[in-house]
Parts: sequence; structure tokens; C-alpha cells
Amino acid sequence: MDKIFKLSKREQLLVQFIMLAWVAVVLIPFGAALINALKPNVGQVFRDPFGLPDPWTWSNFAKAWVNANFAQYFANSTIIAVSCVVLVTFCASTTAFVLARMPFKGSTFIFICFLFGVIIPIRLALAPLFDIVRSLGLLDSLLGVILVQSASMMPVSVFILVSFMKNISSELEEAAKMDGALPFTIYWRIIFPLMRPAIATIALLTFVQAWNEYFLPLIFLQSEANYPLTLGLQRFNQQFAIQWHMMFAGILIMMGPTILAFMLASKQFIAGLTQGGVKE
Amino acid sequence: MPDAKQASRFRLSYRMIEKIQRTLLLTPGVLLYSVFNFIPLLMLFYLSLVSWPGIGPKEFVGLENFAKVLTQPYYRDQMINALLQNVIFFVVIIGCFLIIGTGLALLLSFRTHGRKIYQTLFFLPYPMAGAAVAYLLDLFVHPRGPLNAALTQWGLVDAPIPFLGSEDTSLITMALFYSWHRMGFAIILILSGILAVRTDLLEASMLDGANRWQSIRHIVFPVLGPAFILITVIVMVDVFNNADYILLIMGPEAGPLRSTDIMGTFLFRTAFGGSADTTDTNFGLAAAIGLLTALMILPAAVFLALRNLRKT
Repeated sequence: MDKIFKLSKREQLLVQFIMLAWVAVVLIPFGAALINALKPNVGQVFRDPFGLPDPWTWSNFAKAWVNANFAQYFANSTIIAVSCVVLVTFCASTTAFVLARMPFKGSTFIFICFLFGVIIPIRLALAPLFDIVRSLGLLDSLLGVILVQSASMMPVSVFILVSFMKNISSELEEAAKMDGALPFTIYWRIIFPLMRPAIATIALLTFVQAWNEYFLPLIFLQSEANYPLTLGLQRFNQQFAIQWHMMFAGILIMMGPTILAFMLASKQFIAGLTQGGVKE
Repeated sequence: MPDAKQASRFRLSYRMIEKIQRTLLLTPGVLLYSVFNFIPLLMLFYLSLVSWPGIGPKEFVGLENFAKVLTQPYYRDQMINALLQNVIFFVVIIGCFLIIGTGLALLLSFRTHGRKIYQTLFFLPYPMAGAAVAYLLDLFVHPRGPLNAALTQWGLVDAPIPFLGSEDTSLITMALFYSWHRMGFAIILILSGILAVRTDLLEASMLDGANRWQSIRHIVFPVLGPAFILITVIVMVDVFNNADYILLIMGPEAGPLRSTDIMGTFLFRTAFGGSADTTDTNFGLAAAIGLLTALMILPAAVFLALRNLRKT
């Protein structure tokens, strides 16, 4: 075993070199964004993209935040992402509970319908979806986007929760049922606490997905007051295309929370997002 | 139990209340999913049979939309172009994932110093928003951007390369953007495949006198098959419906000269038109294209579904 996985000094050096090369590929664009976002004008960005800013202009971030409406975009993104998390964790956990633990005639059919949503991406149905959202009067409203984005996360979430639940024993529930507990009680007192790790996963997955979503808001939102960060960044790009230092600042504002969250919980991110990606 | 007491008061049997509560628990999720996901998917079949600009009355036209896409030169040529370019896009991404991803995952599986930190850093772009990544890399590879500045400074090229400005390179560059963004995902999947190889097999091979490369080739690689297939299928389903990078950087016209047009942009353009003030919108046709695309990715999608089912 050791002979396969242990590296000699020279091999270690070579491997380290390759690893660092890929780290450079990953980090250099981020680094370029950071130093150029701190430059006072675009001339400096063009002249020497890898040079240090002179003077260090931290006010670019404040300018983007205030003048370019990023505060508003940020608030909208937060509202959308948080609402989606609440809606999806509640709806997916109740649905998964019934489908996994209280099967009835037709529950398999419902599960297959959810499976259908896992395999056919909703983007392909953008025309009918648009029609439905419009006939419900939800066009250009945050509520409409929240409902659509939550619904698009439902299949994956239900799937993850159902497979998680199949792996936990039902002894507690059986005992509670003997004592006459009803589904609401069982769900809230027993299942929800037991499912917490899987619910944390789908909450993370939903938050990241909702925060990053570009396509669905693009279709359903028109007025700038409703824009989330993804659409705001696009608008910003149209306005400030020439002012690269401002563009970089805007990009970093959008990435900031994700980078921060990733650094705090990289393990959960890697595990959760990989699981979500595989189920999609 | 308060619930049980209530039950006797209203003289409803336990079974009855259980059924009511079960329905109440099931309703919100099923309602949310069916209205905003499942019914639109089913409506694809109906909408693909009508001629409808998105507003006003729908006119039933039978299979005319499919005939249009498959035979009328204007639409057929766009469709073929988008499909071919989509395949190139897909192949470049998969190539990157399987070659670079496997290489890096293999190196990470050795006793490399700091491999946990490398793993985390390699994954860093994945959770970022596509919009931010698209604009970041767009500026990065711009003729006046950092990459070209470095290339000219080191004398590697004489003039800046217009990566996204030329028909020859724009599609490949877009595929590389995608690969840069998602490489961490491929690495993690392949790495977990490598780490799942049974150690007793490896030990036996060592006892039989196999060297490192032989062990990797004959024991590790065969086991990676499922991971490779999984990545291929996931990327396939994704790139045939998701065109975010191209919509963000190039817009629905998928320039230069439609050289970055893939199914996602073609579908978007058919439904909503190429520019904001367009009148050329056709929801029926868009539904037909969506349905055809769904058919194309169906084998891959069904494979994924069956795999997931087996696991549950």
C-alpha cells in the first residue's frame, strides 16, 4: 500500500509543483479581480493588470454599493434565497416524510412525478412556465421568482430526503404511533430532528442555487427594483463595461458572501454541493 | 397526547385523522412542485402543437412546429448549427474534466503534503455564481485584460488574442470557462472513486510485484468507470439545457456570428426573440424545441434516474 501512495522526496516535489500550478490557474483570476478592483481608474488596469494599485482605492466598493444600486440587488438576492430555503426545507421535508414513511395508494406515482422533475430540466419548459406564471399574475414579482425557484429545487430535495429517510430506523416512530401520536406530531417531534443533517444539506444547496440563479429571474423579472445580484451584475456590466475597476468591484461584491461561507464551512459545501450535483 | 383526546371528542377515528394530516402534510410540496414545475413540463406536449406568439389566441397546428424545426431551412440550419456546437462544447468540457480532473484527483490521492488545502482551493470556483464567473473570466481573457497582458509581456504572442471576439476561439473559450468553474466537482467525484478502491486488492497487487503505475492502471482505473460515466451524463444533461455563460456574455444572439449558439440560446431566442424589442417570439416553436432537446438528453437523464433509484 505504502509503495503506491507514498511519494519519494523527488516525486513529492514534482507533485507539489503541479498542485501549485493548478492553484495558480484557480486563484489568479480571483487575485486579478482583487488588485484591479482597488485601482483608482481604468487606465491603471489596462497599463499594468498585475501591478499593485496606486493609491489603494477602497471606495470603489462603496461606489458600486451605493451608486450602482448594489444594496438593492443584494437585498433582493437575500430575500429570494432565504425564502427559497424556508419554502423548500418545509415543503420537501413534509413531502418526503409522507412518501417515505406513510405510503398509500398513489404515493409511488407521486414519487415518480418528482423523479420526472429530476431528469427533465425545467429550463426546457420555459414557454409553458412563463405562461403559467403570467396567468397567475406573478410576472415581475419577487414572489413569482421565489415560487419558481423553490419548485425547481423540489425534486432534488425530495430525492435526497427520501433516500436519507430510508436509511434511518423507524423504531422511534413505531413507538410514538403505539402511543397514539399523529403524523403532525411524528413529523415535528421525531422526523424533523432526525433529518436535520439532510435538511442542512438541502438548505445549503437551495441557498447557493437560489443565490446564483440567473436564468429564471432573467425570464420573470423586468423592473430593476426587483433585480437580484445576478441580473444587477448584468445591468452593471452594460453601464460600466468600460470601467473595469468598477466591474471587478461589483463581481467581488457578488462573490463575497459565497467565498466567506465557503471558507467557514468548506467541508459541508464540498459534500453538500457534490451530492446535489450528482442527483441533478 | 392532545391529538388523541381531540380525536375522541370529535369521534373521528385515529385512522381518519391520520389520513387528513397526511394529506395536509403532502399538499404544500406537491402543489408547489406541480404548478411551477410538473405541469409546465406536461404542457410542453400541448404547446408544441400550437402556433402562439406568447400572447393572444393559440392556434392548433398539429406537428407543424416540429416540421418547421426539422425541415424549414431558416430554423433547421440554426438547429443543426446549435446542436453541432453544443456537441463541441460538451466534448471540450468532458475532455478537460476527464484528463485534468483525473490527473489532479490521482495526485491528490497520494500522500501529498497539504492535500486537504489543495482540495478546498480546487473546489473554490464551484459554489460561485455563474454570472460572476462569466464576467470575471470575460474580463480576464479580454484583449486588453490580464491574460493577454501577461502573454504579450512574456513574448508568447505578438498581438493580443481575441479569445471571445473571434469565431474560431469563442466557443472553445466558453467551454474552458465552464471547465474552470466546475473542475472542482469533477475532481471530488473522481477522487472519491479512487479512495473507494479496496485496499486489499491494492495490497495483493503489490505482493504480486506490480509497480505503482501497473496497480493504478489495472486496479484503480477500471473502478473509475462508473465515476466517469456519471460525470459525462451530468455534464451532458446540463450543457444541453443551460446556456447561462453565453446568455450573459454574448446575449441571445450568441455572437460572434452565432459561433457560440447552443441549444439553450437557440431555445431562448425562439421563445423571447434575440433582442428586447423583437416581435419574433414563438412559444409553440420554443416548446417543440424544448421537447426535442428533452428527447435528446432523455437516455442520459433516465440513466441518472435509475442510478439514483437503485441507491435509494
